[in-house]
Amino acid sequence: MTTTNSMTDVHNGLTDELRARNDIIECRGVDKWFGDFQALRGVDLLVKDREVMVVLGPSGSGKSTLIRCINRLEVHQGGDIIVDGVELTNDLRNIDKIRSEVGMVFQQFNLFPHLTVLDNITLAPIWVRKKAKKEAEQKAHELLERVGIPEQANKFPGQLSGGQQQRVAIARSLAMEPRVMLFDEPTSALDPEMISEVLDVMKDLANGGMTMICVTHEMGFAREVADRIVFMEDGRVVEIGTPNQFFTDPKSDRTKLFLSQIL
Amino acid sequence: MPAASAHHERPPFWRNTNVLKWGVQILTLAAVVAAFWFLVSQAKTNLDDKGIPVGYDWLNDPANIQLGEGIDTVPDTMGRALWSGMVNTLRVAVLGIIASTILGIVLGIARLSNNWLAQKIASVYVETIRNIPVLVQILLWGVIVASLPELTADPGEKRWFFASQKGISLPRVFYADGFYQFVALLLVLAIPIWFVRRYLKRKQELEGGEQHVGSVTFGLFVLAAIIAWFANPIMAWPRGVFHAIEDAWAEIPQSVMQLILTVIAVAGAAWWIKRFLDSRRTPAGLAKLIDDDYFRMIFAVVGALAFVFVVWVLWPGLSSWIINSGSDFWGWLGDKFGGDRGSRPLDGMRPTVTEGGRFVNYAPTGWTLTPAFAALFFGLTFYTASFIAEIVRGGIMAVPQGQNEAAAALGLSRGQALRKVVLPQAFRIVMPPLGNQYLNITKNSSLGIAVAFSEVVQVGQTLYNKNNQTLAMYSIFMVFFLVCSLTISGVVNYINNKLKIVER
Repeated sequence: MTTTNSMTDVHNGLTDELRARNDIIECRGVDKWFGDFQALRGVDLLVKDREVMVVLGPSGSGKSTLIRCINRLEVHQGGDIIVDGVELTNDLRNIDKIRSEVGMVFQQFNLFPHLTVLDNITLAPIWVRKKAKKEAEQKAHELLERVGIPEQANKFPGQLSGGQQQRVAIARSLAMEPRVMLFDEPTSALDPEMISEVLDVMKDLANGGMTMICVTHEMGFAREVADRIVFMEDGRVVEIGTPNQFFTDPKSDRTKLFLSQIL
Repeated sequence: MPAASAHHERPPFWRNTNVLKWGVQILTLAAVVAAFWFLVSQAKTNLDDKGIPVGYDWLNDPANIQLGEGIDTVPDTMGRALWSGMVNTLRVAVLGIIASTILGIVLGIARLSNNWLAQKIASVYVETIRNIPVLVQILLWGVIVASLPELTADPGEKRWFFASQKGISLPRVFYADGFYQFVALLLVLAIPIWFVRRYLKRKQELEGGEQHVGSVTFGLFVLAAIIAWFANPIMAWPRGVFHAIEDAWAEIPQSVMQLILTVIAVAGAAWWIKRFLDSRRTPAGLAKLIDDDYFRMIFAVVGALAFVFVVWVLWPGLSSWIINSGSDFWGWLGDKFGGDRGSRPLDGMRPTVTEGGRFVNYAPTGWTLTPAFAALFFGLTFYTASFIAEIVRGGIMAVPQGQNEAAAALGLSRGQALRKVVLPQAFRIVMPPLGNQYLNITKNSSLGIAVAFSEVVQVGQTLYNKNNQTLAMYSIFMVFFLVCSLTISGVVNYINNKLKIVER
């Protein structure tokens, strides 16, 4: 199953500067089945430290499944995934270590509705990182400031707009001080006028040197922020390249078709 | 006339929805009351013709019955016998509620567990038990307890545990003379502990670091409990205070109590109306009141006046009853204090056997589940637990999967995710149907009649077979179960409101 052709060379599109950095995520021939359906077919991927990688592809192509495998919300059945030198196995210690170092933002926000914004953000630092409450709250206020909603700290998620909720979700992930952030279509459930406020926060994060993998349909964001773009179809990585390469000179026919449909 | 129609015109009353709504409701209420009144007066006339006067005076008649168990097994009066039955009902209901909740939560979580064995056991339990009628289960438990060995110990023999046809007997811990003094002293000592706790909490918030708030509070509380255990006699003085209150209370003249009740009713109505008007107040001033609002306020006034009428004309005895029972209450409380040196808060005893030979029995030194109680308790608990398990399972499953994923992605362990994220949300969903199951346990406890458990209905039936006061007896049953049910739903609704998730 791990047939790799030259198109999916994991080093495609790497600039010399990126090439010199450490690998922070390494996927080698990752397979994933849901029953009889194979969602990932021998995916190879290499994410460098402080790289922003955008994953594109038609729906059902395995984009979300891939990043959900990276923090083990889904269990992969073949191949290896290595995050920051730790291999994802059934070892509980490895899973916990990786999850506390990899933040994730979901399409549906998944804020905890029974907790205030502040408690949403401080829950994991207090219980997983064992931080003092005061310290965690101070950090939470800083993060809320950073995502632009310091005044909402004591409200409940149900009282916020979609864009505000997603920004809280980002702040909640950042509170764990992760090395990598995964974004699973973070703007797909938002009204058009709220998309930009979330994308602004993500851009800010990218400029700050966070390693990010974003599954998104925001082509403007991909073109502007991504170091590299990965195009997936049918559970395979079809093409990897710089945004410039990808949008102006796509190599595969499938990519050309995809671009002709969305642009 | 377009200009005229721009004004609000009051519709004629037969087209006014507010008038119609209230009119229909008042008429319905009147019809129900009239029908009820008709039925009761008919029954009363018929019973009077048969020479059976309807009333509640018989509550003071001698009972001449013996109950299987309870606070008073040989009650003097019929009222006392009923009271003893009510306490037995409450006993089995409360214990059943606690036990079935614990069992139900365990089973519900087990049914969702990844452990194959636990999941199958819980599933089989639920699918079997909830599909067998509760009466059959109670009778089955009765048979099981009856098939235990005979009680064959020598009289006076003490053991830690007996299980026999006469029931299951365990050591008993009971309140001794010093218990209320102990509790009172503990409450007094809790005040400084509370201040220490507050101080430590503030310190932690201001300075950070680990101040061990929980463990210090717990340690101080244990220390206070040890002190209170031995020093409880210093709290003997409330005896005099409470007895003084008892005497003072008894001196209240009936007219003064009537006046107090009147003031409470009128002030209550006034307070309600004021609150109601406040709720209609907007930043722009008082909103225009509609007919509906006036009806509500009129109803509050009518209700208060009706209560005043009851207090002064219909039932003046109510006031003296309040005076007497209030005085009794303070006297009862006063008697709980005054234990001298060496009085202990709690004491324990092991079960003993009395009367060797034919009438062998347990002495009330231990904690005995009689066969009837055990059958009813196990039947109700296991039956209701199967429903509670399904409710808990439904509540947990109703929490979106995304919540679990978000918790996992943040690095929370499964246990932490369950405790901090899933259960608080599931609890909110589970509370209303859980309340229904609590009501069911209380009501189903009347099935104890099948195993001759001395609960209120069984006692009541025995009594009305003696004096034919069926109607009055059933009214007592209804009021008793109504009060129990309303109390449970009141508590459930209160918790439900507390747990409501804030939106908008």
